[in-house]
Amino acid sequence: MLENSFGHPPVLHAQNLYRSFGATTALNGVSLEISLGESLAIMGPSGSGKSTLLHALAGIELPDAGTLLLNLPGQPPLNVQELSDRARTKLRRGSFGFVFQSGLLIPELTAEENVAMSLMINGVPRAAAIAQADQALIALGLAGMEQRRMGQLSGGQMQRVAIARAQVTGAMVVFADEPTGALDSATGAEVLETLLDCTVGQGKSLVMVTHDPSVAAQCDRVVKLHDGQLISDSRRGTSVSGGDVR
Amino acid sequence: MNILHFAWLLGRPAKTRLAPQVLTVSAYALVSAVMLIVLGGAYSFTRFEAEAQGTYLPLAGFAVVLLIVPLMVLGSAAARLSARSNDRALSSLRLLGATGSQIRSVAILQASGTALVGALAGVLLYLACAPLASLISFQGSPIGTAIYLPVWVLVAAVFAVVGLSAISAAVGLRKLMITPLAVATRRSVPVPRWIRAAITVGSILVLSLLFTNLSQVAQSIAVVLIVILGGFGLGMLILNLVGPYLVSKVAQSKLKKAQTPQQLLAARMILENPAESWRQVSGVAMASFVAVIGGSGAAMMNATSAQEATNTWYDYLPADVLTGVLLTLAITFICVAASSAITQSASTLDNAELYSGLHRLGMDWGTMNAARVKSLMVPALAASIAFAIASTLLVLPLAGMAVIFSPLTVLTVIVAVLLGLVLVRISITVAEPARLLASRE
Ligand SMILES: Nc1ncnc2c1ncn2[C@@H]1O[C@H](COP(=O)(O)OP(=O)(O)O)[C@@H](O)[C@H]1O
Ligand SMILES: [Mg+2]
Repeated sequence: MLENSFGHPPVLHAQNLYRSFGATTALNGVSLEISLGESLAIMGPSGSGKSTLLHALAGIELPDAGTLLLNLPGQPPLNVQELSDRARTKLRRGSFGFVFQSGLLIPELTAEENVAMSLMINGVPRAAAIAQADQALIALGLAGMEQRRMGQLSGGQMQRVAIARAQVTGAMVVFADEPTGALDSATGAEVLETLLDCTVGQGKSLVMVTHDPSVAAQCDRVVKLHDGQLISDSRRGTSVSGGDVR
Repeated sequence: MNILHFAWLLGRPAKTRLAPQVLTVSAYALVSAVMLIVLGGAYSFTRFEAEAQGTYLPLAGFAVVLLIVPLMVLGSAAARLSARSNDRALSSLRLLGATGSQIRSVAILQASGTALVGALAGVLLYLACAPLASLISFQGSPIGTAIYLPVWVLVAAVFAVVGLSAISAAVGLRKLMITPLAVATRRSVPVPRWIRAAITVGSILVLSLLFTNLSQVAQSIAVVLIVILGGFGLGMLILNLVGPYLVSKVAQSKLKKAQTPQQLLAARMILENPAESWRQVSGVAMASFVAVIGGSGAAMMNATSAQEATNTWYDYLPADVLTGVLLTLAITFICVAASSAITQSASTLDNAELYSGLHRLGMDWGTMNAARVKSLMVPALAASIAFAIASTLLVLPLAGMAVIFSPLTVLTVIVAVLLGLVLVRISITVAEPARLLASRE
């Protein structure tokens, strides 16, 4: 496999992903390589297949056709589309982090418990999980809010809790779907900065769906989708158009 | 016409809401069938000699009254579930400019329609079960064809179920806020603590006085009955006041000890609304109460009558009381199981987005389900154990005698309660997030 400028084979390598829902073709032959330590923004009009692509890359839903190779540092390569549902669930909780627009925080739990939960489902004992969660929350500027419930936090604070949860397991790839979509622009900018710090800032990869050009501009690389096809792929400073990028 | 049309649009069978609809209809069918069988059994008592009727009919009446509470709980749970499964449709009706009362009429009509279908199915179920129920024996002989009620009773029962469900739909809807944006559960206002404490202490005093004097007044069976019924009423009052407190105490201790994700989640889910947790399992507490007090009563009568056979209807009373207690337990648990299934399904549907999201984040469906199950079974077990102990203490002389003189009766009642808990546990598998949410997509 090709080594890229980051000195490691692509952490995710998707080839010819197809996915349709009835008559709708959401992904129409998408190929994409994602390097370790890079931030990638997926852009495109509503309904162009951004979320479907993110779900396929993260092993949430399998594509109808195509292959997805995962190459995490220190681990043997993995054909994601060959894994069972259970194995993919395990893969997601152990190796990936997620930040979604709605946060998906459990309202009954406190902030620290929400973060600790992602460690606990990986088998970390509760006390250790809570201690690590507190550290992560404090590092993200949420000191003193560890015991708060979700209803007692602002939208930006909740997204920080979600980021802490995505980060605390040490997952090398973080997926985000419109993470700032529900926030005002100032809060959104702060949350984005935190997200970048916690991912590419620590050598991890970030794959982020966004429709906001100013958010995309902060990423190393931007791909554009249209009707389920990649129509452009540009790195900061350079631009390669025409879809197939290999 | 307009409202009828909307009610039909929302209530007609549809693939997307099949699970909640099947659940609601079967719940109504179950309750109607059970109610008809109990009525049939009660009705069959009218063939006994007058003196026996004087004892049997009030007891049967009591059993029928007992049914009304779980039926109302079940009806309001069913109404809430059907409102939930239509939440988007109801909200968009609101958005289209329908007034709150129009929406309420639509929802009530729809609930009544569902109840009507359920009640009719219940009549069929009753007819199907009647041959089996006719084998149950009172006064030494099986009920037989007396289990078949006159047609007018069947018609009246269908109307009663539909009427009760409409009322409880209205009550259930008061707890829901239907705004143009969403349907949400309104938080109920808790009873102030000091009122709760005062009523509890007062009731416990009255109850203990009653029961400590029981041995002196026990000569007359009527007095025993009044004491048991009165005690039961007061007991229900106490348990609805103490229950939420008990549940939150148990959940707090579970929270401290929680090690796994499901333990932590379950404890927090209970603590989120202990009163609601309690409401779901209060039937189990009631069953424990019936089991201990009714069971002890039956055992004691059994022990005394074994010594002096009188060759009258009275000889059959102890065994018949035990039969009645067991039937009451069965009915109570069936109702609790059905309403748990419904309430849990509604709550799974409520949290559909969160649960699917957590699954995306890598949480197993099994973990989420285990948390839900625990959040119901922990209060259920707590209710069952606590109220079994409390009622045993209340009737200690009676219960002590029962264990010594009629251990088999006591054992039977305990096994019945355990089976009931198993039934409740099995019933909530319908609310498994993986199953319920998958069928929705
Ligand atoms: N679960 C689904 N069922 C049916 N159609 C779907 C589903 N998910 C996505 N689609 C369709 O696939 C297309 C792409 O959807 P999506 O990836 O969510 O777009 P985006 O995130 O870019 O807005 C849309 O036309 C959408 O309607
Ligand atoms: Mg999307």
